[in-house]
Amino acid sequence: MKKPTTLSLAKLLLANPWGFIVPVMTGVVSSVAGVALLGVSGWFISAAGLATALGTALAFNYLTPGAIVRGLAILRTAGRYGEQVTAHNHLLGLLRTLRLWVWDQRVAKPIADLHQQSRGDLLQRLVSDLDQIIRWPLVVFLPWLYALLGYIGVSIFAYFIDPVLLWPLTIAALCHLVILPYVCGRFASHAVHVGQILGVHRRSRFVSLFSALITLTIRGHWQDYAARLEQLDCRQKRMEWQIQQAISLGRLLGYLVTIGLFASLFFLLGDLQADTFQTSAFQNDSMNWQLKEHVSGTWLVGLVLALLAVNELVLPLVQSFVAQGQSQVGLRRLNQIQQDAPSVSAPALGKLNRLSLQDWRGYHLESGLGNQPIHLELSAGDTLWLRGASGTGKSTLLASIAGDCLATGKAYVNQEECKIYDNPNFQAQLSYLPQSPYVFQQSIAANLMLGKADASDTEMWAVLEAVALADWAKGLENGLSTLLSSQGRDLSGGQRKRLALARLLLRRAPLLLLDEPFDGLDKATIERICQALEHDYQPDMLILVSHIDSPLSGKAKVIELPN
Amino acid sequence: MAGSKAVSNASKSKRIKTPEAGFLAELALQQSTQYRLAQGFGVLFAIALVLQAWAFANVFSDMVLQQAFSLSFLFLALFALLLRALANFGRERVCASASRHIRYGLRHKLIKHLTQLGPARLRIEEDAALSTRVYEQVDALDDYFSRYKPQVFMVTLIPSVILLAVVPVSWIAFLIFMLTAPLVIVFMIFVGHKAAQANRRQFNVLAMLSNQFMDLSQGLAELKRLGRTQAARDRLSHSAKAYQKTTMSVLLLAFLSTATLELFASLSIAMIALYLGLGLLEILPWQVGSAPVTLTQAMFLLLLAPEFYLPLRQLGNDYHAKQKAEAAATDLMSILDTPLSAQKALATTESHMPSSVQLAYLSFYELAWQDTGRQRLAPITGNILQGERVWLSGESGVGKSSLLHLLLGFEENYQGQLYIKGKAFSTLNLRDWRNKLAWLPQTPEWVNGSIRRNLLLGITEPSESNIQKALQDSQCADFIAALPNGLDTALTELGSGLSGGQMQRLSIARALLSKADVWLLDEPCSGLDTDTANAVLNTLETVSRGKTLLIVSHDTHPIHWADKHWSLNKEGLDENKGGLDEKANYAIPR
Repeated sequence: MKKPTTLSLAKLLLANPWGFIVPVMTGVVSSVAGVALLGVSGWFISAAGLATALGTALAFNYLTPGAIVRGLAILRTAGRYGEQVTAHNHLLGLLRTLRLWVWDQRVAKPIADLHQQSRGDLLQRLVSDLDQIIRWPLVVFLPWLYALLGYIGVSIFAYFIDPVLLWPLTIAALCHLVILPYVCGRFASHAVHVGQILGVHRRSRFVSLFSALITLTIRGHWQDYAARLEQLDCRQKRMEWQIQQAISLGRLLGYLVTIGLFASLFFLLGDLQADTFQTSAFQNDSMNWQLKEHVSGTWLVGLVLALLAVNELVLPLVQSFVAQGQSQVGLRRLNQIQQDAPSVSAPALGKLNRLSLQDWRGYHLESGLGNQPIHLELSAGDTLWLRGASGTGKSTLLASIAGDCLATGKAYVNQEECKIYDNPNFQAQLSYLPQSPYVFQQSIAANLMLGKADASDTEMWAVLEAVALADWAKGLENGLSTLLSSQGRDLSGGQRKRLALARLLLRRAPLLLLDEPFDGLDKATIERICQALEHDYQPDMLILVSHIDSPLSGKAKVIELPN
Repeated sequence: MAGSKAVSNASKSKRIKTPEAGFLAELALQQSTQYRLAQGFGVLFAIALVLQAWAFANVFSDMVLQQAFSLSFLFLALFALLLRALANFGRERVCASASRHIRYGLRHKLIKHLTQLGPARLRIEEDAALSTRVYEQVDALDDYFSRYKPQVFMVTLIPSVILLAVVPVSWIAFLIFMLTAPLVIVFMIFVGHKAAQANRRQFNVLAMLSNQFMDLSQGLAELKRLGRTQAARDRLSHSAKAYQKTTMSVLLLAFLSTATLELFASLSIAMIALYLGLGLLEILPWQVGSAPVTLTQAMFLLLLAPEFYLPLRQLGNDYHAKQKAEAAATDLMSILDTPLSAQKALATTESHMPSSVQLAYLSFYELAWQDTGRQRLAPITGNILQGERVWLSGESGVGKSSLLHLLLGFEENYQGQLYIKGKAFSTLNLRDWRNKLAWLPQTPEWVNGSIRRNLLLGITEPSESNIQKALQDSQCADFIAALPNGLDTALTELGSGLSGGQMQRLSIARALLSKADVWLLDEPCSGLDTDTANAVLNTLETVSRGKTLLIVSHDTHPIHWADKHWSLNKEGLDENKGGLDEKANYAIPR
């Protein structure tokens, strides 16, 4: 193993070996019983026919084979049922494991990169990749295993008829189980790969074009852009055709191998006999094939029937191996988000009572835009008001102080130098309200409890009162347990912000960072919030970015950001 | 054939025409020739099946009884197997291509429809979610069109052909098939109905789990700051575990339908084998001493028995394809069902044309818009002269944006009259009209690509000095010069750290470059703080002199320099000369 957390298909199989053994065993029982059912029935009927023809019918023991046939029928059913149920159980377990894996990787990711990855469509892709991958053991591995066992069972049977049969069987098994799936998988894998890339490309072009739809339409150039979208679609269609081609051809070749196998079986077990002997079935035939002495016709019938059953097990393999290509692409993409475990945890910090920043400049990684370097001193009881014209990097600076954004310069926490970017120990001491905070698709109470896990109802109502949301919440039918819609879409921008603020106030962290908290609020609400910030919920230190005056600004130190 | 009828009845009763099923059936109809071809291959397949069984039966019985068999039968059997393979090959390819054509045709139609919907598409969903519908959801129809749909035919065909072939051979075997087939179907419907419900519930819960994962992941940055990632992880783990536990009881039932089929298939193969074996031994209780079938016939029946149930079993496996397709169809239909603006209902009556229309650039007369019973815009009357700049305000939902969408030409089933330079809007060449427009919405429209590409979106490339001048005028030049790659910096969808104000300035530069003389602005400042908004508005004031301009803006961002202020309400339009009327003066920021 290279890295302990890299995903691979083999690891998927071993993720929960005990959970996997039950579906495998039941599936094996079911498949082998299915093959044997046909084989034994064939043998039984031909033996019965032979016994009658020889006049030994009365001595023929029909009870045992009869019981075996019925037993196999029941085994096959029970096995199939058991396999489906247990396999599904296993699959759900796997889904859970994988989701948690993705979660861990994303948690380990530096926070500045996280924003890119949090976009809806990227996440959507991750989710569908997961769904694709967990199906691998069931769609690819198990059918292959059943087919292999089917072939082994038939080979043992064939060995007792005539050991020479092992040759064609081995060759056919190799073709069916290894060569054809591999070749078709290889042939299609390019198309699968290109198809997936095209899919991603096509989607981003779609979103990009539609977000500029009106401009493009009124400029009269939409057609050109739409045609390019269409072009991608056509290429995708061609890839799909290639994949389909590989599957269909593979299946046809599979049939041909089976036909060849039958032909060689009969060839090995008999000789041409030109002489004519008359039966009711064929009269004027000159070409007859005489079975060798030691070969029992009844057994051979059983073998051929069993092989027909194995053929049914083998045919879907080509398709599943093409599907494997998709799992692998998904796996590769998932491994891209794989993160090494965070190297060293930063040293623990005492309670924050002094923060000093020297030559501090927060900046965005992609554009390098940010604020001009500044000095900043803050100790318990201070309120700081950051002001500046648009584009001076107020928000970037605040995010960098929150450890959310990259920065240059030196930071001293309680007079000790300290790295604050993505440092959980530092972040534990602060609450940061970004410009567009995230509201979870959970109940109001659950959203608030993210700030304080054991908050009581009284505490929650009090904090809602403090941000002037209590009246709104009281008006809701389910009160605190009202479920909010995805990303808080049923809330107004101001409500979203205040709810997030309430969550932060419950945390009572020493340092509170607020980015434009009063945007879109009326005067009364602003006063109410400021009241709370100055009394019941007063933080030790407060840094405020705001373009409007508020009751807080009276006692605040002002830092005007240079352009 | 009663059996086959039962089968077709079953498939018919399943096809109670829900709108989704109707939608899917209509799509399938587009490829009816292909599907007919596939049916032809299916018939060939069924015939090969019977032929193969017959030839192998002869080979087997001669082999058993005489230790020898005729080569011609062997060749026939192998040929039939080959024929079967080829028929299957053809069928697969035809069905896959039918499915491809249906899906890509549908996608084309969807994109076209969305394009024509213009801004109205956002009433259905946001763009990212729409892209999921257009791509993933359309592809979710694949299994239905390439497997389920043709399989429904095979389910009728193969059992009927086998029954036909069995009749002349053995009545008892025929009866076993006949009795089990309806039983299988009855049980399928009985259990399948419950299973379908269970399946749907499971589908919903799974979707809920994905949703929870998505939600927590999107808010991960927030959780990290709050130090609550472990709690969220526990939550994910816990709900997945709980779901796994409760779902097992549901699954036990859901798979019962498959199990029933398997049981019937297995048992009737066993039953036929036993019947044939005992019959051959001449010890059937009711027929001691004589064999009902010859060995050849017995072999023939045995070979056909598993094939009889196989198509039904496959259909059972593909049943989820149908559910998946119907779920997707719901989403796709909601796009296609969003009506396009109907082509102008009636020719406008010219009699009401007031004289002022001749003078005005834009002129509305009793212009209203009612859409599916909802009033989107109350009747308004007013004129905008060439070079006049009008501020339009009003509460949200009163129809400000709708008026702009009308002017953009995305909505045509309005009531009342709309004149451009004295010509009825409906008689205009839409292309020429749109060429005169510049559009600045709340969030500027950007495509993936460099700033330059976005500035020149859809216009013929102007000279470099023109670009520089536009950038100077819109006050973009400074911050663009500060970017490491200047104009060639990529503007990703998330923005490259440009602020909202800077983005708006870029879209002003774009409007300048387009040389449009009518500017339509939909709350260009609503996402900006007051200082930035004022700065942007000041820029707008200087660059838009001489342009005809209609700007929608809330009272919180008054347009002091406008020549006219229209305030729109549920009754209509109030006009005030000059931008600075009383209303704007006492407007408090909300």
